[in-house]
Amino acid sequence: MKVLVTVKEVAAVEDEFQIAGTSIDETYLEYDLNEWDDYAVEEAVQLQEAGIADEVVAVTIGPERSEETIRMALAKGADRAVRIWDDALEGADLLDVGAKTAILEKVVEEEDPDIVLSGVQADDDGFGATGVSLADALGYEWAAVVNHLDQDSVESGTASVRRELEGGVEELTDVELPAVLTIQTGINEPRYASLRGIRQAQRKEIAPKTLGDLGLDAAAVENELELTDMYEPETESDATYFEGGPDEAAGQLADLLREKGVGAQ
Amino acid sequence: MDFTLPDEHRMIREEVRRFCDEEIEPIAQEIEDEHRFPEEIFDQLADLDVMGVPISEEYGGLGGDTLMYAVVAEELGRVSGSVALSYVAHTSLASKPIELFGTEAQKERWLTPLASGEYLGGWALTEPSSGSDASDMDTTAEKSEARSASERSGAAAEKDGDEWVLNGTKQFITNANVAGSVLVKAVTDPGEGYGGISTFIVDPEEDDGFEVTTVWDKMGLNASPTCEIKLTDVRVPEDRMLGERGDGWEQTKKTLDGGRISIAAISTGLAQGAYEAAKEYSTEREQFGQPISKFDAIRDKVVDMDRKIERARLLTHKSAWQYDQGQSVTRSSSLAKLDASEAAREVAEEAVQTLGGYGYTEDFSPQRFYRDAKLMEIGEGTSEIQHLVIGRELGL
Repeated sequence: MKVLVTVKEVAAVEDEFQIAGTSIDETYLEYDLNEWDDYAVEEAVQLQEAGIADEVVAVTIGPERSEETIRMALAKGADRAVRIWDDALEGADLLDVGAKTAILEKVVEEEDPDIVLSGVQADDDGFGATGVSLADALGYEWAAVVNHLDQDSVESGTASVRRELEGGVEELTDVELPAVLTIQTGINEPRYASLRGIRQAQRKEIAPKTLGDLGLDAAAVENELELTDMYEPETESDATYFEGGPDEAAGQLADLLREKGVGAQ
Repeated sequence: MDFTLPDEHRMIREEVRRFCDEEIEPIAQEIEDEHRFPEEIFDQLADLDVMGVPISEEYGGLGGDTLMYAVVAEELGRVSGSVALSYVAHTSLASKPIELFGTEAQKERWLTPLASGEYLGGWALTEPSSGSDASDMDTTAEKSEARSASERSGAAAEKDGDEWVLNGTKQFITNANVAGSVLVKAVTDPGEGYGGISTFIVDPEEDDGFEVTTVWDKMGLNASPTCEIKLTDVRVPEDRMLGERGDGWEQTKKTLDGGRISIAAISTGLAQGAYEAAKEYSTEREQFGQPISKFDAIRDKVVDMDRKIERARLLTHKSAWQYDQGQSVTRSSSLAKLDASEAAREVAEEAVQTLGGYGYTEDFSPQRFYRDAKLMEIGEGTSEIQHLVIGRELGL
């Protein structure tokens, strides 16, 4: 059984930074593996350690710099990686869900995995849609926001998962493989990479591929979205302290909520 | 000339740092307060292949170089001097000499469990009345006829032959009460001076007559045990002698060449930890309507810290690199140790000062770095001895 994990290098800004137009200068950015993807990698490696998966392949869309981050997935146990980059991608301000789906769809067709694990969302752009969109394009089944995966079920060709819904509600569901699961944080406890793992990862393959290699051209990744502005939202804090006993305080809270529009018809 | 760390080293630094921040830093003060050796941390470090970084893979180590080892030691020092000190004593003093001077059989029996982190190791040179004048030791090893096999202690008892009987007291021995093996220096040939010292592998658990008589309470580094040990007729078979009879002092000098890089690396880490605490505080703490880092007095302190740390790290990495090139490191490791240990004490002191009253409390880390840093100017050759070593290297 083959597991494909989509991983992304995300940028985080330092405490103090400056925005220039629609970008933030490199000096203020730190790059790291997307938090959700770290959990997806761990889940894949656990499937491998349980003898269920034979191969774990990490795939990423990113420039050469991102190899350092992607290599951490290899250090934790992924067998090899595929990295897609292209001049057409270099020039793009923003890669929307459609573009990522088009690229990853080709990679999945080439690799033919039994399960695709993808982080629920990326820490930076946070669309939270790539995994499900990919499943849709491939005609795969999917489960989004998975916070538990029954490993034994995977072996029998059906993934029994627990999904997180809104308001603390969870759903137990089965999806037929091949499928895409978007992985929620907390599904496992991502390991530290061992130093031996890090050393071995230096020799593992990260295969670079262009759009052309995947049979795509620049048109495939043309964006519907355009980045028009970037600004830091004003932060404001507004605390109200209610004096008096419970009855009085409850009354004041009710007034405030009504005033803010809660419960308005 | 390339000053960037190789990718592999950088990745290792990042992951070790993450481990240190998440697993060690939160308990760093607590283990000092409790004077507790954090066994669980060393178990985890063993799982992550940290315990044998510069030891060959053949014997359970990582097969990394000295530069990689220095990077790891610095990261440990950045959060806990105690963990770092026990780690480097284990690695450069207790493990490395077995790799350098041991027989194949000794490496398999004694190095593999150390390098794989099954247990920690110790190294015993100093004595109550022999510190800087280290070769003037009173611990003796006398050859004796073998007793019957059943009487002998230890796993090596099956080998027939003579035994060595060790007697003496060793002082300030890191890890002695948690170690699975201790390398003990003893006089085998009185009157031969430097050439009369030999090294023995002693098993604290199995060898009768090995006793930890004191675990010292110290100014700092209290989560790293520092012990006095007493050897009373400790009988070990011949195959416990490390290297040749009379090689003990030459081995010691080579061991301390690497040991000084270890202390330099920890010192750089202590300074880095103190600096980070001071820098963070100075940009958050406001007085007279602005962050105190905006005042020249505090800015200059923090800038000086950065300068001293950069210098200490460069010297340390250069010496580690030279070691990896097979070059002599006597001068460079001594310079690194001397400079980094002073930098650590100075930076930590200024970090305490930067935090003012808070810096003097145990709720903040600078006081811990200050306490820990002081030992770096004393252990593995005092600063005064480093001057002596460097003076000799300069032909003075």
